[in-house]
Amino acid sequence: MSHDASTFDRRELLRRLSAAGLAAGAVAAGAAFFHDRHTPSSRPRAIPDWRLPGAAGYPAVVAARGPDPAANVRRAVAALGGMERFVRPGERVLVKPNVGWDRLPEQAANTDPAVVAELVRLCRSAGARRVVVTDISCNDPRRCFARSGIAAAVAAAGGEVIVSDRLRLVPADLAGVAQGLEVVEELLTAERVINVPVVKHHRLSGATLGMKNWFGVLGAGRNRLHQSVHRAIAELAATFRPTLTVVDATRVLLANGPQGGSLADVREVGAVAAGTDPVLCDAWGAVQLGVRPTDLASIQEAAQRGLGRAEVGLVQELGTA
Amino acid sequence: MSWTTRLRILYQTFFLFVFLWLLARLAASDPRDLPFGAFFHSDPLAAVAVVFSSATLPGALVWGTALLLCTIVFGRVFCGWVCPLGTLQQLASWILSPRSRRESLAVNRYRRWYAVKYYLLAALLLAAAAGTLQTGLLDPLSTLARGLASAVWPLLPGRRPVPGGWIAGALVLAILLASRWIPRLFCRVFCPLGALLGVFARFALFRISRRQEACTTCNLCAFACQGADEPLGQHRVAECHVCLNCTAACPEGALAYRWLATTPPAEAPDLSRRYLIGSALGGLVAAPLLQVAGGGRSVANARLLRPPGARAESEFLARCIKCSLCQQACPTGALQPAIGQAGVEGFWTPVLVPRRGWCEFACTRCGEVCPTGAIQPLEAARKTGYDGREPVKIGTAFVDRGRCLPWGMQIPCIVCEEMCPTHPKAVWVELVQETTRDGRRVALQRPWVEPQRCVGCGICENRCPVGEEAAIRVLSVGETRDPLNRILLPAG
Repeated sequence: MSHDASTFDRRELLRRLSAAGLAAGAVAAGAAFFHDRHTPSSRPRAIPDWRLPGAAGYPAVVAARGPDPAANVRRAVAALGGMERFVRPGERVLVKPNVGWDRLPEQAANTDPAVVAELVRLCRSAGARRVVVTDISCNDPRRCFARSGIAAAVAAAGGEVIVSDRLRLVPADLAGVAQGLEVVEELLTAERVINVPVVKHHRLSGATLGMKNWFGVLGAGRNRLHQSVHRAIAELAATFRPTLTVVDATRVLLANGPQGGSLADVREVGAVAAGTDPVLCDAWGAVQLGVRPTDLASIQEAAQRGLGRAEVGLVQELGTA
Repeated sequence: MSWTTRLRILYQTFFLFVFLWLLARLAASDPRDLPFGAFFHSDPLAAVAVVFSSATLPGALVWGTALLLCTIVFGRVFCGWVCPLGTLQQLASWILSPRSRRESLAVNRYRRWYAVKYYLLAALLLAAAAGTLQTGLLDPLSTLARGLASAVWPLLPGRRPVPGGWIAGALVLAILLASRWIPRLFCRVFCPLGALLGVFARFALFRISRRQEACTTCNLCAFACQGADEPLGQHRVAECHVCLNCTAACPEGALAYRWLATTPPAEAPDLSRRYLIGSALGGLVAAPLLQVAGGGRSVANARLLRPPGARAESEFLARCIKCSLCQQACPTGALQPAIGQAGVEGFWTPVLVPRRGWCEFACTRCGEVCPTGAIQPLEAARKTGYDGREPVKIGTAFVDRGRCLPWGMQIPCIVCEEMCPTHPKAVWVELVQETTRDGRRVALQRPWVEPQRCVGCGICENRCPVGEEAAIRVLSVGETRDPLNRILLPAG
């Protein structure tokens, strides 16, 4: 078939149009495929608020005592209305314990594995689709998760451990002194977040508790926050608002914190507190450590900013089981 | 393709895969107790050289003798069937050079300078006897492992580049590219392990035999000869990689790999006695030259932090085969190949760089994988001092008061104290009240280091928030391995 230079027939028109259409489609498909909707031009990601409404009628913080850490967790959470109040079926939950150090549970530098595992179990039976347990460790993360007993306990409870070197860090909308630091992406995509700190001594901040536990979701550069540590802790508490805070005082590290090492520094307290007021949780934790909440500048600053109340009398003590 | 060729390719693929897999698992901190050092334990070059340099045959290196015995029976089957660097070269030459038959014949002819590897071997072994172990520079297993550790694994997501890693990568790349012009050029000309095996292959019980009456001198056997050992002429058994391409290629069936073959008579390596003596003397002279003029050994080097359990520098250098296993085993990436830090002799030996990673307090992986005992294996309780004795120290931390936030700038900080893993902490803080220039009162906690307790792990330096150069730095003084590199009098 021959064509005049100035005219072409319908078939040729269709051929050219479809070729052009295919090319355009390929470009559009490529753009759609490669386009990253989540981080357009690396704009910092917003940090969600994981709190749930409907706290009326429940105590803000409940503490349970007894020799079995898992039973303490169950009793405290039950007194708050059960895990069903915090986790809905099909939700993705992130549990953030303190797994900072290559230490045994007896050395009390990390959250007790029984506490973490029991929370995972409660989330699972409340219908959570996926329960992720993670932390950015200070020591070699594989050693920390193995030695703390948390990797094994969480796996047995049906949760999923993500060791820090498998985590992706993304720029996030952090305010104040933490500006510019990166945050664990897994945290930002979780629908519910449970903060599970361990109570221990820290020479600069006085104590490592729940609000300071947020250091563990921050990437490189977090060590600079120590220059203004109380303000940093209060700002992190204003930024990260968990669904639930569970303070582990099964064993308390009284000195040489935050990683300890000697059993001589460890006191068996056998208590766990759970609650929706992170400041009150920390105030209770400070008392377990033998520190007055009024002596901790981070708790005072957080209370002044209206992030919670620091009056330990508000904690409902369930007593020993 | 004949069944011998198929079988050989199967073997080569298997060993290449196992070699790569083991190192990849090692670099990924696989917690299983895999035989990471297996290839190096059966490396007779490492075994012989360490015997020359330290007069001992450390532990598992005794497997190297198994490979020598294997060579005495079967010839250099290691080169043709096992060596992963050999396999990669063969693959590279196959991919890179589609040759005509005439060219194939030309590139697979023996050349006199293929004897260079024997001179190199003589020089390296004599240098080892004189106290400097340099076989690792050209050992094919060390060379490939180093290339992987320094130039390939860093490409994986989440890994960091290795300073100076390109040198190790470039060496492997050059070796592979050279196969474009002459197949297995490195094996034929430079490989000291091949040369050592060649010395023993002269006694091989199994070798290529030729039925003279059946041979039509058609040259087909020489087209794909990997070792350039001329099966057609006076067969050079010491050069033969036992690839068996020649027996497969012979249309007359005149060639076979056979027990106690008599023809053709074996040709000894084509060596000049004068050159051999010259290279041996060269090695002898090079050793003291490297030690004296190369820098590194005479005085302790402040920033030369060796892995925990490393022997005293002279003994360490007499055993390190630069294989990079410790570098790949280190979970924090602290161990790096030395470029200039350890003198010329110590090129590519491991050095701990705290700004990149720290020595994990209870980790003993580098000593577990070291094939020669240059880094001695430690129990975690021994290393940490939890067994009640003094812990193993690799150095001592020093506070740089000009750069330190509480000391130099009246800004609170505590990170070094917080990170310190010993009990009680070697880094302790003194509480002070200071007045700033605008009259404000600030409470500061100033870090001090107690040298008796510091193990030099470097986590303080690694985590110090002060930019490029930390305000607390670990120097080698106080290291357990050197009784002269000390600050303190011994306790008690």
